[in-house]
Amino acid sequence: MFGRKDKIKKEPFDIASNIFVTFFAVLSLFPLYWLFTSSLKNSSDVVKMPPDWFPKTITLSNYIEVFNSQPALRWTYNSLVVSLVSTVALIVVSCLAAYAFSKLKFKGKNVLFIIFISSLMVPKEVVIVPLFRIIQDLGMVNTLNGMIWPNVATAFGVFLLKGFFDSIPDSLRESAKMDGASELKVLYQIMLPIVKPGIGALFILNFVQVWNDYLWQLVVGQQNEVKTLMVGVATLMQDLNPNFAYKMAGATVAAIPMLIIFVLFQNYFTRGLSMGAVKE
Amino acid sequence: MNINRAALKENMTGYLFIAPQFILFLLFLVYPIFEGARLSLYKINYQKETFVGFDNYIKLFSDPVFVKSTINTIIFVVFIVALTVLFGIFVASAVFDKNAKYVSFIRGSYYIPVMVSMVVMSMIWGFLLNPANGLIPFVTREMGLPAVNFLGNKDLVLPVIIFVTFATNVGQAIILYIAAMIGVPKDLFEAAEIDGASRMQVIRQILIPSVKPMTVYITIINIIAVLKIFVVIQLLTGGGPNNASTTLMYFLYNNAFKYNQLGIASAVGVIMFTITLLLSIPQLRSVLKND
Repeated sequence: MFGRKDKIKKEPFDIASNIFVTFFAVLSLFPLYWLFTSSLKNSSDVVKMPPDWFPKTITLSNYIEVFNSQPALRWTYNSLVVSLVSTVALIVVSCLAAYAFSKLKFKGKNVLFIIFISSLMVPKEVVIVPLFRIIQDLGMVNTLNGMIWPNVATAFGVFLLKGFFDSIPDSLRESAKMDGASELKVLYQIMLPIVKPGIGALFILNFVQVWNDYLWQLVVGQQNEVKTLMVGVATLMQDLNPNFAYKMAGATVAAIPMLIIFVLFQNYFTRGLSMGAVKE
Repeated sequence: MNINRAALKENMTGYLFIAPQFILFLLFLVYPIFEGARLSLYKINYQKETFVGFDNYIKLFSDPVFVKSTINTIIFVVFIVALTVLFGIFVASAVFDKNAKYVSFIRGSYYIPVMVSMVVMSMIWGFLLNPANGLIPFVTREMGLPAVNFLGNKDLVLPVIIFVTFATNVGQAIILYIAAMIGVPKDLFEAAEIDGASRMQVIRQILIPSVKPMTVYITIINIIAVLKIFVVIQLLTGGGPNNASTTLMYFLYNNAFKYNQLGIASAVGVIMFTITLLLSIPQLRSVLKND
């Protein structure tokens, strides 16, 4: 059939809803616009009413102040280390475990898998008291290690990756084993290249998740020097400094890395989020 | 003998492969769950622990702040999740069959607030709503409405937090719904169109039922996310005014890290853990069914 589009037909209802949806899409970006422009205003312009919808004079002094009066570079570094190490460690341990659950045979496999995957939805915040005491006992309060390792306990990696391993035919592993390859070699040389898209999605999703995590990092990093960017920037809100432009500059510094990641990897999010969701 | 050996070796390999993940899982999740349950039965004063049975739980239910936290959390869960699901379906059903560039623009615009995190969004909203020099009070004054303190008024503070949280996080539901709706087989629509169904009918009778598993998933993950709502409370209202916006997670945090009431805080943790576990059952069932 010529000209047959795979669309439902156009109607006033459809057009009206799309105008509405587009309007709110733009509106939902407005707070960020306000954040960026406010951070570039000086301390009196930022609270001027009626406001300047576009900043009249642009100044970087708020950013300079954030980096001078606070260890903001250190915070950024801490966030980077915590997010990166958590994510890489999660990928390593969950690749091993997902491979074992998918391809190896061992006693109690199904029971262990069910126990493990049952924790999928349990957020670590609900056990924050005992978890904090463990970190205390391990001497990890005020360390990045204390922020990192509880993140690696999540079942999310295995959940996401197991499906990828399941889709690889067993014969591939068996023939490699026949040639005398060790289990690790099979995983590393044969399986990993195939499950790469899953690893990519896991990397992005988990990195962002840890970067934006707040409560656990707040509790573990109490000294200013070991704070992560999110926690540090949030303290600017309670800062005695009355200059809102300075606070907004801090918030912008926290927002920019994630905006860059989103622009670069938008497709990973779309695919990754859906991978983590229901499979029909 | 040989076969036994091979089986044993394969067993060992399996255990070795899951060991790193399982040790972390046991240490940082399973053990804390049991330890939390134990602590909830104790009165804890620094190193000194006294067994008090269910006293902490009894105290909780007679504490008006805990009751308020529970009611607020339920209100947040109901309204935020309902808004998220309804708006998610609305946006996704409007755009899913449009051209890819437009879909990607819509997805991006709604998802960017999710990306920049609740911390940053709370800071912006705190500034926008600031009674002295915020943009929103200015606009409402200009419109001739009475001056209101959005975050300082006990009747307004809950709707404001509901709106801010919903507006920040709805992007995730939108991305998931769009993906689910794009996956609905096209011949279903075509058949309906031939029967002369309107777009509204197609959405209601075909599209929404087809994405029901996604609705279940989005509902559950959002209930759990809102259950532990914390950042927006700490940064926007501090639980105020006069505990009007306190939540379970905020109550737990204060008891644990401000008032040093670890037993009480653990009891709240146990209650929240039980709720999340029960909520995740339908989702777990679908995960395990697939294997």
